[in-house]
Amino acid sequence: MALELLKNTTTPETATIYPIQWRSRIYSIVGLVLLLGIVIIVTLAIGSTDIPFGTLCYVLFDKLPFTHMEATWTSNIETIIFDIRLPRLLLAGLVGAALAVAGATYQGLFRNPLADPYLIGVAQGAALGAVIGFMLPVSWQVGSIPLLAFIGALSAVAVVYSIAKVGKTLPMTTLILAGVALGAFLAAITSYLMIASGDKLHGIISWLLGTFSLTGWWQVAIVAPYIVIGTIIIWLYARPLNVMQLDEEQAKQLGVNVEQVKMILLGTATLITAAAVCFCGIIGFVGIIIPHTVRLIWGPDHRFLLPLATFTGAIFLILADTAARTMLSPTEIPIGVITAFLGAPFFLYLLRQKKRAIF
Amino acid sequence: MKQHIPKYLSILATSALFLCLSCAPQSPPGNIVDGLGRTVIINKTPQRIVSLSPSNTEMLFALGLGDKVVGVTEYCDYPQAAKTKPKVGGFSTVDIEKVVSLEPDLVLASRIHSKTVIPALEKLDLTVVALTPASLPEVLDSITMVGKITGQTREAAELINNLRTRIEAVADKIENLPPDEMPRVFYITWHDPLMTAGTGTLADYVISSAGGQNIAFDISGDKAINLETVLYRDPQVIVASVDMGSGKDLPWQYLQTESRFKNTQALLNDRIYKIDGNLIHRPGPRIVDALEQMAQFIHPELFK
Repeated sequence: MALELLKNTTTPETATIYPIQWRSRIYSIVGLVLLLGIVIIVTLAIGSTDIPFGTLCYVLFDKLPFTHMEATWTSNIETIIFDIRLPRLLLAGLVGAALAVAGATYQGLFRNPLADPYLIGVAQGAALGAVIGFMLPVSWQVGSIPLLAFIGALSAVAVVYSIAKVGKTLPMTTLILAGVALGAFLAAITSYLMIASGDKLHGIISWLLGTFSLTGWWQVAIVAPYIVIGTIIIWLYARPLNVMQLDEEQAKQLGVNVEQVKMILLGTATLITAAAVCFCGIIGFVGIIIPHTVRLIWGPDHRFLLPLATFTGAIFLILADTAARTMLSPTEIPIGVITAFLGAPFFLYLLRQKKRAIF
Repeated sequence: MKQHIPKYLSILATSALFLCLSCAPQSPPGNIVDGLGRTVIINKTPQRIVSLSPSNTEMLFALGLGDKVVGVTEYCDYPQAAKTKPKVGGFSTVDIEKVVSLEPDLVLASRIHSKTVIPALEKLDLTVVALTPASLPEVLDSITMVGKITGQTREAAELINNLRTRIEAVADKIENLPPDEMPRVFYITWHDPLMTAGTGTLADYVISSAGGQNIAFDISGDKAINLETVLYRDPQVIVASVDMGSGKDLPWQYLQTESRFKNTQALLNDRIYKIDGNLIHRPGPRIVDALEQMAQFIHPELFK
């Protein structure tokens, strides 16, 4: 009876590869969503400014329709909560989710545990675009840096893709090699421009290390549609991605349009990565450690891996950014430094604990 | 010409001390201890001087030594005449070959040159003096030192007298202000990332000397500051630096367009100002201009 049910929901092949623990995994997803909500509320109360949790609750209740609180707080407190902390942690959450789900997608597509969202030139393209933006005359600079970073990221991948494409197929090894080579080429140009940038160097380095320090609502509004829609598209392709773990030939025989799936997943993962990095810079490590952490805990089935990685990534980056803005407050630490500094030891700890092959 | 022969040095040191005590005007100065604590021997009055920082250049010109300056950095843009001098590179990136080719008999360096540039120049037998002023009094000391090295002691004394008078004119008015009449000041060095000048910086010194309280009192040096910290400390005056390097007026534009500043005292009372960053960040004679401007921003009622 149980076997019959399984057959209805999944192909026999995947059922045998991944022993299904539906219930516990669905609980995990629900649990993570709840945890994300709690993390958002709690980190909203944490910052270099000491705002008592009670005051935060009053301010939040006051914003709800039909409730009115006697204002015992200054308008600057309201600005801090709604216009500084909230957009900042929402963007951090979106970026964390995007990098984690894109990382998981790349690792699945390339069947390579070292793949990260930046493997095929996104980061180098974005960095070059941003540095060109910094070098522009000052009057053009406002707003052009994120736009050029976004364009740079997408064009780098487009070039890599067109170089690696053989007829109608896209060999993954060629794609990686082309990505690495083009990345090195772009990085060389970026390095030269940085050396030649003179007094703009500080701004450039700060962008490259990543920061959410000036995030406002407008950035959230621009980035959110790309990341939300892109992530949902990727989730929908979890099953074909599972099948492709076997072998491209076998996947084809099982009725998966391998080339089409590759196209859609590569394009979507690249797009959300570009959207993630364009405002806050290149944040390393999230795309590697979050998917692997999720695999260590919940296993490699993409139907769960992808959503679980999304929410774990969001939680992780919100916490990392909270550390970035509070640890040395009132000054700030670049977020890229935190993700590697806190993320790497935690990941190594997990690796020691589990001591089993994870990929 | 720097040598480490203790006996020779001690004789020179004694004679220099003796000369100092007797207050005899002397030229050349013999040996001096520069801003990095190095003892440098100067045997004849320098005629060809290379300056490795904009503030050094400004000091030299202010002492009437413009004609003797044979090399400056790309950032030396004041006074106008400095722009036409041969360039020896950027601030931290000095083209050693170019310096040597100018055949200077004195190179005025700064603190950032201590590890790489100064040793390289000394190996080539060039006389290097480092000026490292980090506060208003130290700027005055550096001017005295440059005057002494170059034989312009009278010009230096006059310049310092003039600067002292102006500093005291500001100090007299703010001296007896109670703390609650010293407005909270936020100084924007750069807007992205949002950077300010904490304790130990010239800007911090200028703000407090002009009768203000820097809101970045718990930050040391030039660092990024949390936007929410700025809002919470609610500055009464915000000053943005402009015209620094290639940055034009970006920090000022940011200050005017950042909607989240709108409920701060500074914006509510329209107390936002811009200041030429080159005045306030360069430890040269124009730091006193910065002090006077800052005093007008912070206490318009006292400085008309």
